[in-house]
Amino acid sequence: MDELLSLSAVEISKRIADGSLNKEKVYSFFKERIKKSNPSLNAFVQIYDAPPAASGISSLSGAPIAIKDNICIRGKKITCASKILSSHASVYDATVVEHLKQAGLQIIGTANMDEFAFGSSTENSCYGPSRNPWDTTRVPGGSSGGSAAAVAARLVPLALGSDTGGSIRQPASLCGVVGMKPTYGRVSRYGLVAFGSSLDQIGPITTNFTDCAHLLNIICGPDSNDSTAAASGTPDFTEYLRDDIKGLTIGIPAEYYGEGLNSEVASAVKKVIEYFKEKGAKVADISLPHTEYAIATYYIIGSCEASSNLQRFDGVRYGLRAACSSLSELYMRSRQEGFGDEAKRRIFLGTYSLSSGYYDAYYLRALRARQLIKQDFDKAFNAVDVILTPTSPTVAFKIGERNMDPLSMYLSDIYTISSNLAGVPAVSFPCGSSSAGLPIGAQLIAKEFDEATLIRLGFCFQCGTDYHKRIPKIV
Amino acid sequence: MDKYDIVIGLEVHVQLNTNSKIFCGCSTNFDSPPNTNICPVCCGYPGVLPVFNKRALELAVRICLALGARVNKKIYFERKNYFYPDLPKNYQISQYKMPLGEKGSLELSSGKKIGITRVHLEEDAGKLIHKENASLVDFNRTGTPLLEIVSEPDITSPEEAFDYLTYLKLTLQYIGASSCDMEKGFLRCDANISLKNKGATELGTKVELKNMNSFRGVRDALTYEAKRQRDALEKGEKISLETRAFDAAKMKTVLMRSKEEAHDYRYFPEPDLLDFSISQDILEQEAPYIKELPLARRKRIQKQYGISEKETDILISDIFLADFFEEACTMFAKPKEITNWLLGVFLEQVNLLSEKFNAVKMSPQNFSKVVRYFCENKLNNLAAKKVISLCIVTDEDIDAVIERESLAQVSAEAALSGFVQETINENKKAIKEYLEGKEQAIMFLVGMVMKKSKGKANPKVVREMLEKAIKLLKSNEAANS
Repeated sequence: MDELLSLSAVEISKRIADGSLNKEKVYSFFKERIKKSNPSLNAFVQIYDAPPAASGISSLSGAPIAIKDNICIRGKKITCASKILSSHASVYDATVVEHLKQAGLQIIGTANMDEFAFGSSTENSCYGPSRNPWDTTRVPGGSSGGSAAAVAARLVPLALGSDTGGSIRQPASLCGVVGMKPTYGRVSRYGLVAFGSSLDQIGPITTNFTDCAHLLNIICGPDSNDSTAAASGTPDFTEYLRDDIKGLTIGIPAEYYGEGLNSEVASAVKKVIEYFKEKGAKVADISLPHTEYAIATYYIIGSCEASSNLQRFDGVRYGLRAACSSLSELYMRSRQEGFGDEAKRRIFLGTYSLSSGYYDAYYLRALRARQLIKQDFDKAFNAVDVILTPTSPTVAFKIGERNMDPLSMYLSDIYTISSNLAGVPAVSFPCGSSSAGLPIGAQLIAKEFDEATLIRLGFCFQCGTDYHKRIPKIV
Repeated sequence: MDKYDIVIGLEVHVQLNTNSKIFCGCSTNFDSPPNTNICPVCCGYPGVLPVFNKRALELAVRICLALGARVNKKIYFERKNYFYPDLPKNYQISQYKMPLGEKGSLELSSGKKIGITRVHLEEDAGKLIHKENASLVDFNRTGTPLLEIVSEPDITSPEEAFDYLTYLKLTLQYIGASSCDMEKGFLRCDANISLKNKGATELGTKVELKNMNSFRGVRDALTYEAKRQRDALEKGEKISLETRAFDAAKMKTVLMRSKEEAHDYRYFPEPDLLDFSISQDILEQEAPYIKELPLARRKRIQKQYGISEKETDILISDIFLADFFEEACTMFAKPKEITNWLLGVFLEQVNLLSEKFNAVKMSPQNFSKVVRYFCENKLNNLAAKKVISLCIVTDEDIDAVIERESLAQVSAEAALSGFVQETINENKKAIKEYLEGKEQAIMFLVGMVMKKSKGKANPKVVREMLEKAIKLLKSNEAANS
């Protein structure tokens, strides 16, 4: 069965369909692999003995998938890796989970994450940090670190993550897998526990672009339960899995290649540029001048929305309820005991920024800066089809290295945040290895609703390289 | 209040007549057992998102049109953040910077127009039920669409506030946007009141009043508060900016919270909902519902049918009654008779019904037929009452009921002469009294005949027959003696 590890999810599904593989055996193979490796990787929060019922047929039916533990599955615990929710079972399916069930995928468990998706290392989990399968002393990135580590280690061929400021792409980069944040509105957020409602998107984490296109096909589309899910039609993304990028113009933004960028990462991304040139793409230097405001803008808007979104966790109806003798004690103690440090930090930051007297100086200014950042992209996409950047300024860092210094942690997302602010789609894919053997990721950013171009370029890159086929040796 | 002017502004919340809640598909039914009309969305479960009910928008637009408010072309929702157990998300989806409607007005019966500052949509909270050792939450009401209607501080007396609420309620009922039942909490009202020196332009410090459960309660609270403020000012005290609760049992207001305890609601645009454009289509779709508003109808009805102001006020106090009246008048053009029977016997019967007008089945056609039969002497007073009471919740065929219950009035002298003769024979004493000039005695005799006819005789005919018979008796006696 070990050959399963080198198969794409599409191939696994095909073999299940033609009878050469057995669905239950595939499931138990991966389940056993997870059980064996999870003690060292801590990528999973829940491992299901049997998958939730899923009857449909699709190009991915039968393929096992891990779901980040902030996406609701009916009857299963939804923890967001937070003490405050650790006992809560969801009473409904997220729209993406409904889609997966209708497509016949086998949901195998839930993936570890930073608490409520606050973080870039998966160290902020009440279940302890996940570890990078390429070096277990290092972080897998975050906040979808469990999903990325699980796919990288081939504990599961597919995973869903969520991305508010880079939470799919940065861990995909640090773990050497493909992670896509679709356009805001491409995938329904119904059933995703909200962090920053105007920024959050669910997206696929896969080993390769073929699986990415197939999984995106399944999870995307309008949703009557989500007003922000775009009503526009959805293309068949698998049509863009062709080794042809002639005529595309790739923009290289100077702001993403400056100070703070690790030289090994820089040279790996430069090789990607060369590769695409050879394949017939044009390359143009561009500027995204407001990039330097992205982190500050993001931490204000994201925290403002998070502070409001997290108010529902109050001990009244579900989740942790602390011992108390009055209403205000119920609120304060439950939240004090239930939330971790980073969640509290975001709540403080957001509450402060929205308070009267500070609102104009912080929240409103951040909204204006967001507009400027969006305009940067609009302008850039008048000249180029896609933008190529590094995903993360560094390779995977050591566990404990940054979590005492929130600002250095926040800088981990410096290249990924802007696309959330602008709402545009972006994908990270493996494009090299550091001298220490750690994966390096490159990021492609396209204009709104043009995931197809990301898939086209990514597939083209994988046609001539083997980074996506490299599998870490795990215990 | 000679030295002072009273300045009052009212904030009214009305529940809109929608079948489902504003941001989910749950029923808005008022009577359901606690926590049965709920879902993950209105209970604020992790991961849920609101979806705006367009019906709420349509009704809200209709109200804006009725109040002559400017409807903004683009609106968006904001989150009003505060912690309370009846608010599952601990924020209320409301409108702040860009309300649906602005700058409207409501005309009172005095002809005075009260300005409407703003009209905005929001979701209702749940209900807390306090027990001895616990507080329980019922989320059925959570997410019911509410419209907040804020008046300008144009109201100058508690009576005028009462009038404003009366006409606001009527207006919303007339256009079918809200039932405005204050007892059921479908309409709630907070008031701001301050005093200023007579004729001065500078406003005094305002006090917000809460916890009024009826229009009368609003009037009483304002009356008390105006006096309290005047007394304080007379003593040279300062009025402080605060919120006070009305205690209906003690008929006074008590301090709820001072300005320092005021909330910072941290409003910001609701990211889970898109901006909404209010299309010309919605305006055109809702405009036909704004037909004749209560005040205009009051003026017209009084003029057209020539009935008193007091009667008109009752007729227009419920659109059902006003419609019923006018419909009945088209079938039988005697508005005064229709009014008498409608406001008398009919309302008496309606008041016996727990569902009031909602339970009435009788059609205006059938009602007017009863009144016509009465006027045409086909039914006497008692019989007409009986027909109305029998038909009010059935709307049976009137003629069939009269036949079945043998209620038709008997006016034929031939049919009554036997009863009249018997009565004359049996009541010599009463006849004597009548002949001696005691006029009332004849009524006693009429009553006796009515009794014999089992209430069916036409009393007017009976009286004439009796008078004739007595006259004959008298002339016979005179001839004999």
